[in-house]
Amino acid sequence: MHILPDRVPWYIVGPLMGLTVVAFFAIANKPMGATTAYAETFQFAARRKVKEFWRVWLFVGMAAGALLVSVLRGGPSLTMSYGLLGTLVPVGLLIPILFGAGLAMGFGARWSGGCTSGHGIRGMSALSPASIAATMTFMAVAVSFTFFLHIVTGGSL
Amino acid sequence: MNRISFLAGAAFGFLVAAARLNDYNVIHDMLLLREPDVFLMMASAIGVAAPTLAYMNRKHWRTLDGELNLRRQPVSRKNITGAAVFGAGWAVAGSCPVPALAMTVGGSVLGLFVMAGLFTGIVLRDAVEARSIQPLLRRFRASSETEAAGVQG
Repeated sequence: MHILPDRVPWYIVGPLMGLTVVAFFAIANKPMGATTAYAETFQFAARRKVKEFWRVWLFVGMAAGALLVSVLRGGPSLTMSYGLLGTLVPVGLLIPILFGAGLAMGFGARWSGGCTSGHGIRGMSALSPASIAATMTFMAVAVSFTFFLHIVTGGSL
Repeated sequence: MNRISFLAGAAFGFLVAAARLNDYNVIHDMLLLREPDVFLMMASAIGVAAPTLAYMNRKHWRTLDGELNLRRQPVSRKNITGAAVFGAGWAVAGSCPVPALAMTVGGSVLGLFVMAGLFTGIVLRDAVEARSIQPLLRRFRASSETEAAGVQG
C-alpha cells in the first residue's frame, strides 16, 4: 500500500527541511551535516575512537527516516536499477563508476568541510561565507559537468 | 543528545526520500536545469532557516548546549577545491551522501557502491590530512622544545 505520494512537493519538503535545521540548532546547538556523520560512523564501525557520538545517531536517524519512506511506499525492495544512467551503462562498468563518483564526493566533501546538507542547507542557512562559496562552487561544477556528459554522450545522458 | 540527533536525522532522511532526492533521474534533471524543484526546495529550506537562525543568533538564544553558535567560517581555498571535486562526483552519481544512504536503505544495490566510495573517499582525505599536518606538528614541537631549552638554559 502506498501511503505517501510518489514525490512530496518542494513547497512542503523545503520549509520542513529548513525547520529541521533550525530545531537541531535551537535545541542541541549542533550543525546538521552528513559527511562528518559518515566519518564518525566509519570510526564506530572500525571500532576506533568516536569524537562525537551524536553524529553516529544522526547517521542512523537518516537511514531510519529514509527507510520509513520506503516502507510507506510499499518497500523496501531490492533493485539493480539506477535511473537513466543504469539504462545506458552496463552494471559491470557502472559499479566502478559509482564507486569512483562516491570516492570523489567523499574526498571532496571532507576536504571542503561539508556536502549538500552540511554546506548547501545547514551552512547556507547559517549564512556562513565558507558554505556559500562551497555551495556556489559545487553547484557550478556539477551543472557544468552534467552538461559536459550530456554533450559527449550525444544527449543520451 | 543522541536521541535528539536520531530524531533530527530521521526527519532529514525522511524528507530527502519523500522528495525523491534519492532518485538519480531527479538529481540529473535538476543538474541539467530541466526542472527547478530541487533548487526551489533548497531555496525554501534556506528561506525559512536563515532568517530564523539570524534572529535567534541576535537574541543570544540558549540551547541545551550553551548559547547558539552558528559556526560561520571564513572562506578558505580548501572550501573551493574540495567543493569542485565533490561537484564532479555529484554530477556522475546523481546522488550525494544523504540521498545515497536513502537509496541504499530503499533497496538499491548500486547505492551501496556509492556509499562504499563515500566512506573510502572520507577515510582517504583524513589520511591525506593527517600526513600533511604531521611534518608541521613535528616542526612545531621541535621549535617549542628548542625555545623551552633556551629558557631553561
